[in-house]
Amino acid sequence: MKAWFLRSLKKGIVTSSFPSGKNEALSPWATLPMRDMSGEVDCPVDAIQDDRVDSGKCISCGICFPQFKPSMQIPQINMVRVEKSLSKSMKLYLFDSGTCGACNLEIMALNSPQYDMNRLGLSFTNTPRQADAIMITGVLTEGMIAPLKAAIDSMASPKIVFAVGACAISGGLMGKSISEITGLDVQVPGCPPDPFVIVAAIEKARGRI
Amino acid sequence: MISPVRIVFEEDGKMFALRRYSEALEDFSGDLLKKRSVDLKPTEKLSLFPYGPSAGGLTESIYFSLLTSGERIEAMNYDTSFKDRKISVSGNDIPKAVLLMERINGIHSASYSSLFCDLIERSSGIEVSQEIMDLRILMMEMERISHHLFVAGRLSGGASQNIGSMNIYLLREELLRIIGKTFGHRYFFGINKPGGTGREIDVSNIYEKLESIVKEYTEIYRTLMDSRIFIDRTDSTAIIRDEISAGPVLRGFGKNMDGRSQHRYYNKLNVRISTVDSGDSLARYVVRSEEIFSSWEIIKKILERNSRFKIMEEVKMDKIQGTGEKISGYMETPSGDLSMIVSVRSGKISFFKYSSPSLWNLRVFADAMKGNNFADFYFGLESLGLCVSETGDIR
Repeated sequence: MKAWFLRSLKKGIVTSSFPSGKNEALSPWATLPMRDMSGEVDCPVDAIQDDRVDSGKCISCGICFPQFKPSMQIPQINMVRVEKSLSKSMKLYLFDSGTCGACNLEIMALNSPQYDMNRLGLSFTNTPRQADAIMITGVLTEGMIAPLKAAIDSMASPKIVFAVGACAISGGLMGKSISEITGLDVQVPGCPPDPFVIVAAIEKARGRI
Repeated sequence: MISPVRIVFEEDGKMFALRRYSEALEDFSGDLLKKRSVDLKPTEKLSLFPYGPSAGGLTESIYFSLLTSGERIEAMNYDTSFKDRKISVSGNDIPKAVLLMERINGIHSASYSSLFCDLIERSSGIEVSQEIMDLRILMMEMERISHHLFVAGRLSGGASQNIGSMNIYLLREELLRIIGKTFGHRYFFGINKPGGTGREIDVSNIYEKLESIVKEYTEIYRTLMDSRIFIDRTDSTAIIRDEISAGPVLRGFGKNMDGRSQHRYYNKLNVRISTVDSGDSLARYVVRSEEIFSSWEIIKKILERNSRFKIMEEVKMDKIQGTGEKISGYMETPSGDLSMIVSVRSGKISFFKYSSPSLWNLRVFADAMKGNNFADFYFGLESLGLCVSETGDIR
């Protein structure tokens, strides 16, 4: 016990002040690519139209490099509504509809000391019944349709449906979007989204930024 | 002992097999391993406890069915099919197939894409430089440390060592930020290409940062191993001694086997294999921790001889037409051995089969849980470092 205590003192404060302060890190290809030089690009998910990149489709593959380069800016978060009643406290339920695993781990990273989700009034819950928000990751898979519908139905209002990552938003490289069976309140782009992008999306959805 | 068969397929009326840690297909005439099926019948004293496919505590969607009296687990079944993405690899051109490889198991994407690119290169007679092999080793070893830290964090958190758990997650996040800044992506997406790399990678200033992470983990590891609570919760739980298992599970009951020790890529790197005899969750934790240190030893050697990986002149994809010949190989992912068979014809993938470590480890775990305490399920599961995504229906 003493060892842990001393270690914590030695380490000091590691938690980010984001979103009131600046984000300390951002994975380059988790940001939206922007045109840097002329030349044709064969985007595997047709995310590029007239030099504009569709954030919901982009799978961060970098095939558009060097014509496109990472913008290094937190991408625009598409959302249909803001739920201010959840600004003080919000419980999140992670729902894996068909991921490669990366989006799940990036959401779970919010629990690490660098992000310390509790300081923002956020916590994970083990059941959708107690959740204010459902964070859906991955493509729509046949086997998860019924559990997803049941999970969303079991949530009390007000509730927010997050689609986290390109797979959930657009189907990405290999499947269908979850929008085929449910409305999406917030779209968090990336493949996977950087944890700072996820924090930004959550805070916007609660009207805190 | 003969290595267990990982992939079997039929062609022109003949059966072929690929064994663990093998690059050569062989004729197969034995019996196929039967699909695991356990009849779980509830009785007056035994109930069926369903867990999943989506529930708190699960990192990915999977369904478990446990036959239990409340304390002791009598039998267990599992179903990974809920989140089957039905990925079709055959028929795709090579660039798209590489992207699919990265996403079969996103958190082990470096291992999957490295093996796939290696097979494509071998099928086309492309010889890659030592520099590219070094880049792939570097990514795979950093991926291994990241994964083992995640498993260590889950195990210590489950054993109520929350400060330890947070300290480990802190290190993992530091590592992911280094990976993101250096490689452009926290999970190595978009780097591997057949014959080269998609980006220039500068690794000249990561040595000290990585050294600091490993040094800090050494302290955490010692503190955890001094914790009576952590040892009590993980010792003697989910004992596995089945030779079809993979990776840290295999080495956790004393098997001195690691695909890296005989792989071409790791030639002259003297991979140190760590083993523990007891076969329980604690043993698998110790193996993973020791592998963090041995991975660092490998990374040091790679960084000593490379400071920057330049963009290789990428092989023109239209030159990879392929002959239809089946090329097979393996790679040691953080969870264990990954085996793969690929053939290319007319520039497209014409045949694809793979065997993932999670598939085997899940099977032996289900058998091993019989007789365990219900509360020990979590430690057994987390100690596997399971990736459900790689057990799916990939065609």
